[in-house]
Amino acid sequence: MLLRGMTWLVFFQLLGTGLNVLLLPFLPGPIIGMLLMVVYLSLRGGVSESISLAASGLLTYLPLILVPPAVGIMAYGSEILADATAILLTLGASLALSLPFCGWLMQKMIERQDRRAGQ
Amino acid sequence: MTGTLMQAWQAILGHPLFWVGVTLAAYQFGLALYQRTRLALFHPVLVSTPMLVLAIWLAGEDYPHYRDAVQPLLVLLGPATVALAVPLYMNLKRIRSYLVPVLTCLLVGGTFATVLAIVLAWALGAEDMIMMTLAPKSVTSPIAMLVAEQIGGVAALAAVFVMFTGVLGAIFGPMLLRWCGVDHPAAWGMAMGLTAHAVGTSRALEEGEEAGAFAALAMSLMGTATALLLPLAVSIWMMW
Repeated sequence: MLLRGMTWLVFFQLLGTGLNVLLLPFLPGPIIGMLLMVVYLSLRGGVSESISLAASGLLTYLPLILVPPAVGIMAYGSEILADATAILLTLGASLALSLPFCGWLMQKMIERQDRRAGQ
Repeated sequence: MTGTLMQAWQAILGHPLFWVGVTLAAYQFGLALYQRTRLALFHPVLVSTPMLVLAIWLAGEDYPHYRDAVQPLLVLLGPATVALAVPLYMNLKRIRSYLVPVLTCLLVGGTFATVLAIVLAWALGAEDMIMMTLAPKSVTSPIAMLVAEQIGGVAALAAVFVMFTGVLGAIFGPMLLRWCGVDHPAAWGMAMGLTAHAVGTSRALEEGEEAGAFAALAMSLMGTATALLLPLAVSIWMMW
């Protein structure tokens, strides 16, 4: 079961890689694979048990898969230190402004839609 | 004839699975610490990364050697990205009830978050490489890493910036939202998922099911939109 779901995931990843080289060089292969998978699931009208098993298994360990790339920070220590102030300020300030802005915008839009629906 | 202790140690160090084992151990430690304390600061990735950097440094190895050694883990990143299609598909039906608010918030809020990061980095005098790596910082790591790589940033750095943003969002997000009077669960989740991806989504899930669902939705949409539009926008900008 798990293996059959994995086969589908790998199949769409490879399909995405092929299309990336052939047609869409600006979109990463796995992203094309993800979009194709959404189209496939919509056409199919549901998620099969094997795909759901493989996907939830992989996504549970997503943080673990992300550890090796994160360790790559050690190869860029000097670049980070050179721009440390700019990096920290940019990340901190843009989050502090955009997070409440998104929440506020969404709340206003929802209130407006609900008011219209109520009338 | 038996080998010496030194030879045994050399055999362990030289085994192809040695670094996979060390990575798994460091991750388990981080996970246990996170589950005990429930502190966003002890996110497993955040705990195990410095441990591994230290271990690699002590072993006298460098990052390219480590990356080759943990290839069995790294190769799963692609299928894991494809697997994000499942939560995205499951949430597609939820979009319909709040279609206009969700899409408006995605376009306006997402653009705001991304452009703000680029402009701030530029104003603070960061290099082009750092600027391009900061741009996808609100997106879930596999997408951010791929996008950063595509637009001239560095995947490894993008993962670090993404994690930092996520942890900041999970710690300060609830407080910021309260100050701004945001209390609708859909708006709460949307803001957390859009700007603080998976870490924000897990924090939103603690808040409630509706907030969690909208955070997962926002995370998937922001990831897809960034993957589709950011490389396109950057290549148009470069040509122009």
